[in-house]
Amino acid sequence: MAEARAGSLASDWSGGTLPYRVGHRKLGMWLFIMSDSLTFGSLLVAYAFVRVSSKAWPTPFPFSPSITFSSIMTLVLLSSSLTMVFAVAAAKHGRKIAARKWIAATMLFGLTFVVLHLFEWKHLIDEGLLPTELPAKWLDTWPSASPLFGAAFFGITGLHMFHVFSGVCYLGVIAARIKKFTSEDVEVSGLYWHFVDLVWMFVFPLIYLLSVDYTPGG
Amino acid sequence: MEQPKSKEVTRLNLLLATLAVGTLAVAVWTLITDMFKAGVDDLFLVLTCLLLSLVFGINPLIWAYNNGWLRNPFKESEEEPAGNLEAAHMEEAHGGSNTQNAVVWGVLLGLTALEVFLAYEKVDLTLMLIILMGLSIVKAALIMSYFMHLKFERLSLILTIVPTLIVLLCLFAILFPDSFRIFRLAGK
Repeated sequence: MAEARAGSLASDWSGGTLPYRVGHRKLGMWLFIMSDSLTFGSLLVAYAFVRVSSKAWPTPFPFSPSITFSSIMTLVLLSSSLTMVFAVAAAKHGRKIAARKWIAATMLFGLTFVVLHLFEWKHLIDEGLLPTELPAKWLDTWPSASPLFGAAFFGITGLHMFHVFSGVCYLGVIAARIKKFTSEDVEVSGLYWHFVDLVWMFVFPLIYLLSVDYTPGG
Repeated sequence: MEQPKSKEVTRLNLLLATLAVGTLAVAVWTLITDMFKAGVDDLFLVLTCLLLSLVFGINPLIWAYNNGWLRNPFKESEEEPAGNLEAAHMEEAHGGSNTQNAVVWGVLLGLTALEVFLAYEKVDLTLMLIILMGLSIVKAALIMSYFMHLKFERLSLILTIVPTLIVLLCLFAILFPDSFRIFRLAGK
């Protein structure tokens, strides 16, 4: 199969044909995903940069409850990707009502993720974490720790949460008017949803797991 | 198929091949002359050069393969059975089956559990960063190839999208040593 693919590459680009063999919507979504991955990529690179170049960086998340909580969020988001895959498969086979049910399940998982995440945020804000300020208690454990922790945390997870929320709205439109949409439209919305999941696969380890409490007894 | 612009194709591929060999040469030269004396700087310079060499090298390699100058070392047999091709075509049209996707989901969950276990064990931070980044890239590749169907798309689309992400890794590799330098300079 690989041979056949490599062989067709040259003829793809010698004109008179659509080189990608995908619709314009799907290609547009892929281009959006590429640019959006650069946005998230540069944010994560900036986070790595300020973390390494700071004198001290807090590692404030105890394994329980913070890490277990965010692991459950990861489980929810991963499962939502699976239900989205089922929705796309159902739409492809023309079973639009089934596709709608699977999309509804995906939206439910997505909303659960947002709600859980907001709980997490509220907990941290109550502790005193702000985008510009660390809680006084953390400064006792990590003296002269950089306040940029809050900026990085809220900036990156906030933008991701916004993506999840927009994704839920997008899927809602697709599900509500699924009779008018083609299976390609469902697939394109699936691409977006999987991308949101993919970003979390980088945010979760870098923001949460690398901030697990290393201090003795933490 | 007749190639009307074969001269341009040859020139462009030679240019790309030169760039690929050039970046590879920089990587090798850095390794030989410096032997990682500059620490992180060298590591990431070599990494960036290798990744760029890969990106530049894809097109000339495929071109050479199409012209028959290069044999695919992974090719198993000369002729694929017709039934196999048919199955491959079916798979290409529909993407993976639901069972296959469920298995991918299970693997993703397993890898996540492994990551969480590392955090539970409180592995050394640097080692953990390397392992986590590696696992994340594996997970991203799984999601893109199966959930996002990239594995079943045209090679042209794959080769348009994936290099962007490789350049993203280069961005990380270029900036990371700088943050160490800033830390060293500001530390005193």
